[in-house]
Amino acid sequence: MGLLSDPEYGSVKWVKMLKRINFPLCCLCYVGSIIWFLTLAHRDFNNETYFSENALLPGLVTNEFNGEQSANKFFTEFLQELEDKYEETDEMPVPWLVGKMSQLGLEVHTHNFSLNYPFGQGQTYNGINVYGILRAPRTSSLEALVVSVPYRSLSNHQKGTGAGIALMLALAQFARLQNYWAKDIIFLITEHEQLGMQAWLEAYHGLQRESSSFYTTLGSFWQPGLDLGKLKKGFEWITTDHSKSLDPGVLKGRSGSIQAAINLEFHTPKIKYVEVKVEGLNGQLPNLDLVNLVHKLCVKSGIHHSYKNSYSWIRSRNVIEEWVNNIWTMLGMASAQIAGVPNGNHGLFHRFGIEAVTLEGRELNDPAGEPPRVQSLSTGNFYRLGSALESILRSLNNLLERFHQSYFFYMLAATNRYISIGQYMPSLCLLCGAMLIRALSLWVTLQNDDEQTESQPDKNDNKGLKVKELSEVLEADTDKKEVDNVDGEKEKLMKEKDLIKNKTVVQVNLNVVNVGGNYLLVHVLGFVVMNSPQIFNYIGATYFDQPSEVSVFYGLISLSVFLIFLTPFLLRFPSTPLTFEEMSIINILLLIELATACLAIGMHNYPLGLCIAVVYTPLALLVEVVGDDNEKLSIIALFLKRLLCILLQPLFAVSIALMLYSWVLFPEEGIVGMLSRGRNAAVQSVMFSIVDSMIYGNWLFNVGTTIILPTWILFWQILCNRVTRISITN
Amino acid sequence: MIKLRLFLSCIAFLSPILHIKGDDFKEEMFIKPIPPSHLYVYFQFLTVANGEESFEHSHLAPRSLGEIVSRYQVEELHLTLTEGQWKHNEWGYPVLDAAPGAELYVWFSPEVVDVDTQWKKLSSTLSGLFCASLNFIENMNTISPKMALWPAGVTGKSNHNITSQLRYASLPREIVCTENLTPWKKLLPCGSSHGFSSLLNSRMIHNTNYHSIGVHVRRMCADSSCVETNLEIKQTVALVYDFKIIKSMDWSIRKLFGQGLPGACPLSSSSKIYVDTTSNNSYPFKLHPEPNSIMLSHRGGSELELAVYDINHSNMMNVRASYEENNEIFVKIPPPLTFNRYVLGYGKEFGGIVTELSNNYWAPIDVVLLENAPWWLPIQLSTLRINGEADSKLIMSKYYSPGRNRQKPYHLELLIKLPPKTTTTVTIDFEFVYLKWQEYPPDANHGFYIGSALISANLPTAKNYTSLPITGSTFDSIINASKPWYPIVFRTNGAIVSLPTPDFSMPYNVICLACTVVALAFGPLNNICTKEVVLKLTGAPVSLKQKIFNIFKKKKD
Repeated sequence: MGLLSDPEYGSVKWVKMLKRINFPLCCLCYVGSIIWFLTLAHRDFNNETYFSENALLPGLVTNEFNGEQSANKFFTEFLQELEDKYEETDEMPVPWLVGKMSQLGLEVHTHNFSLNYPFGQGQTYNGINVYGILRAPRTSSLEALVVSVPYRSLSNHQKGTGAGIALMLALAQFARLQNYWAKDIIFLITEHEQLGMQAWLEAYHGLQRESSSFYTTLGSFWQPGLDLGKLKKGFEWITTDHSKSLDPGVLKGRSGSIQAAINLEFHTPKIKYVEVKVEGLNGQLPNLDLVNLVHKLCVKSGIHHSYKNSYSWIRSRNVIEEWVNNIWTMLGMASAQIAGVPNGNHGLFHRFGIEAVTLEGRELNDPAGEPPRVQSLSTGNFYRLGSALESILRSLNNLLERFHQSYFFYMLAATNRYISIGQYMPSLCLLCGAMLIRALSLWVTLQNDDEQTESQPDKNDNKGLKVKELSEVLEADTDKKEVDNVDGEKEKLMKEKDLIKNKTVVQVNLNVVNVGGNYLLVHVLGFVVMNSPQIFNYIGATYFDQPSEVSVFYGLISLSVFLIFLTPFLLRFPSTPLTFEEMSIINILLLIELATACLAIGMHNYPLGLCIAVVYTPLALLVEVVGDDNEKLSIIALFLKRLLCILLQPLFAVSIALMLYSWVLFPEEGIVGMLSRGRNAAVQSVMFSIVDSMIYGNWLFNVGTTIILPTWILFWQILCNRVTRISITN
Repeated sequence: MIKLRLFLSCIAFLSPILHIKGDDFKEEMFIKPIPPSHLYVYFQFLTVANGEESFEHSHLAPRSLGEIVSRYQVEELHLTLTEGQWKHNEWGYPVLDAAPGAELYVWFSPEVVDVDTQWKKLSSTLSGLFCASLNFIENMNTISPKMALWPAGVTGKSNHNITSQLRYASLPREIVCTENLTPWKKLLPCGSSHGFSSLLNSRMIHNTNYHSIGVHVRRMCADSSCVETNLEIKQTVALVYDFKIIKSMDWSIRKLFGQGLPGACPLSSSSKIYVDTTSNNSYPFKLHPEPNSIMLSHRGGSELELAVYDINHSNMMNVRASYEENNEIFVKIPPPLTFNRYVLGYGKEFGGIVTELSNNYWAPIDVVLLENAPWWLPIQLSTLRINGEADSKLIMSKYYSPGRNRQKPYHLELLIKLPPKTTTTVTIDFEFVYLKWQEYPPDANHGFYIGSALISANLPTAKNYTSLPITGSTFDSIINASKPWYPIVFRTNGAIVSLPTPDFSMPYNVICLACTVVALAFGPLNNICTKEVVLKLTGAPVSLKQKIFNIFKKKKD
């Protein structure tokens, strides 16, 4: 390091070069990163999936599943039961399920939970989950597998899951008679979609609503204990609210630690293909081994399967066509991960360290859209589905250790192609690298300015010396009592001395106070915004009588507008105006913060990190400190920069993106329709992200308000303030 | 065949002589259907060694075990090897409960001074005898229970429970298989050739839902005055069959064990089969052949009906039960005391162990709960909560001995009064620790086993209670044996936790290797960077003294 930072060792050359080429270099990084991302989809740049865990032994057993008839029987009985008794209500046929499961010889329990809707006026919603435990022989219930199905009533707008429940019961009936299980199997039917699943998982792991003793708040990733909550400001309030909103209740029966979970969503046995859904909460993914296992065993059982735009029955020979297709698959996966909302009940398991996937059966005219050449596929039946599920469970049953061998961070380019973290991270690193190069070049420029200013203290010193000499002379003079004419000179000198003193003090001290104070204030503002929805909800409900999503959305909009007008003045608040250096330091810190945040987010949720970086890197590269010696041309440029900055305000960016998206979806509706649809979508999505963050612990809203918003405010402040280049004029 | 007859008649001739010598062998089998879908089969082989202290000679009692008992001055020994978990909620109570895996507890005689050494030696010897990993019993997983365990036999001179002479250890990860059963069978006087033990072939019994083999050695009074004591060696097998897995409710000895019963062991003084027919009212079945006698017992408010078969020495026989059609739904009444144990939390930082105790009886029940956590699972007494309260009035007595890293486990005993018709939750938190990398077992990501907790209770009712009274050794003693209370020791289920585990894989190895290389490279680099290189003058004039000195130096070299 010493060699690198040695000022006399060629760094001058290097610095000069950096100053000259930093902007093209950054642009190159940006373009390079996007090209890198796109090339990853190409066959030559990604890899064929493989099994890392030997113990899975996929497909080695002979399938014995013989429950097709009983599955059909369960299916018709279940539908009959629903039509007879549950047509009007949304309730789950608990007695029927409990009865069937106990008949099969499972240990059946029900689980009650309730939700205090955080934005309601004290409404509570109740729900019941039903689960049956198959106790494996010769074990003491140390490990378990979960097969779950979300219950959907007949009036639900989503596809029902009746076939899934029937398949699960048939499998339970089959599995109960087998002697080879080494892990318990929990057959779980949840109510209210993800809410029921979250409640069950929380109850299973002992999280409780009243977080009095520490194990109850345990494991929520911003707790436990007291220190972490304090360290990560902005997170502890969620914990408290989180524990208040969902009451997971208690479980009466339990098994051991859950190793893996399979969630089933089958509307009918006559499916055309199975979609394997993997994306979980906050973009977390299950171990790649489990995903491979499911795909491989679908092939073996003769079930067509797909992942996003990649269909197992279509293998293109055209390289370009395949590449484009893979890009769409990756983008599909990325869009699901960015929102951080699980696209199935499997997604909630991931946070508890349980690997899980959802198998969704799709028919010919599925709402998800019609894939190519699906007509020619043979329709599925309970036998094939059952044997696929049986072989998956038997493979999981073979596991000696919990999933740990294969990748946890990856992207899928097709059902059988993957991209590991080592391959995709460089593209994010290039983006963040661009920001860091920009920061470095700013710093280097500043350093050189410092070098220039360093000559000043010499002058000062000279002056100081003069003063010193003079004062000595003065002291000598006072002895000689020739006070009168000297006094005037002394005062003059003293004044000069003070002035010099003051000047040096100004240059040294204010940096920290101005820059740091503003920085802190901006982040506190972000924290305030994160906590504001409940206040807006309260105000909206009491004074304007608006539904919570409207009041929160418009509250946030007005807060954003307020911040747009307020924040530029924050920098003028200190008694002395900011200097060019201080502004540059703010800019450097901002770039470093944004780059670090993107990398950190990208480590956990790569698409989210990448998306933030892709959107904000151009802004970061364009924003520079505005001096007051600008010409006409740069005033226009400045205006354009400010406009871009306004457009990229997080809330506005989301609204605009949703409007454009609705325009793509419904191009026939015209501009007004697009705006209203987009607005509605934005209102809904903002509300969902807030509620998700409160109930499930989705980060998106928190990241947006505590990291993205403060950095944006800083950008805005830099663009909206003119500073004088004192150092240069000196 | 003739030889066999000759042998048998020989034995028949000799048996009175053996009887005079005093050793006595009895075999018993207890079959209890557990509606709706399970069947409990319990074998008990009882050998009473008379008056032999040194075991230089032995008759029916196994010499190998007897020698161990006498050499290590063991007062009482209990060893069980179990696969599976007894489900008390569903199956009621077993005759003898056992912890999953291996469990060993021993009272040494008061003369033994260095109990720990003796205990280590004993466990290693038993490990060899039963081919089990009992040699893994060390100080770090041994405790001395203070309240939970009481001797079942006569204890030497005093009547007190000398807990300083007691050692308890359990190995929950131990897997029990044929290799343990074979040496266990060799301890029986008839081996596996005759008698009930010939039914115990591993192909059948290791396919059950629960199997447990055990050896229990205790001292019994020779007569009522109790001046002399006999050594009683009881070998037990407990099996639970699942009707759903054996695919029919009708059971027979042939079906359960793959063969019929080839008569009693010729050396036994009594061999009997007891079939619990109490459940006949709800799930009617018929026994073939007809039992020799039927015994009725009223014990502690519960009725028991036993069908008894006296097995004689020669003929092959098969006991068979055929069920009648039954469409009634069976409503299970839970036993008076049920419990459940599980681990709370997720992540790798903190966790909690919860033990739920449900008293379903109308009177309070006093229980002793023994939590035994290994050293790598530090449980903190400050976090102990009973029903969420730190200071609970339910605790009547408490003993806690904190563990020490790699030396001593955490040991907590609580005497709790369980209020009637309630569930009491005992929670204690723990913190995960990092192990040294060599301390991880193979398949480290499988998780680490927490052993069972012991629950020692004095039940006020004999409902679901099948254990023998403490003074009895055979099933006859169960008849009308009403007592004020019925002592029993339960084992809860164990649990598995995953400690923070390093990535024992290729990248991990690469990281280790890279770190080593960096460490090796650092030394020379540091040397080069920090040490000053000083030029030495070569052409400097050397003084005369120096010259002389140099000459000597060269000569020396």
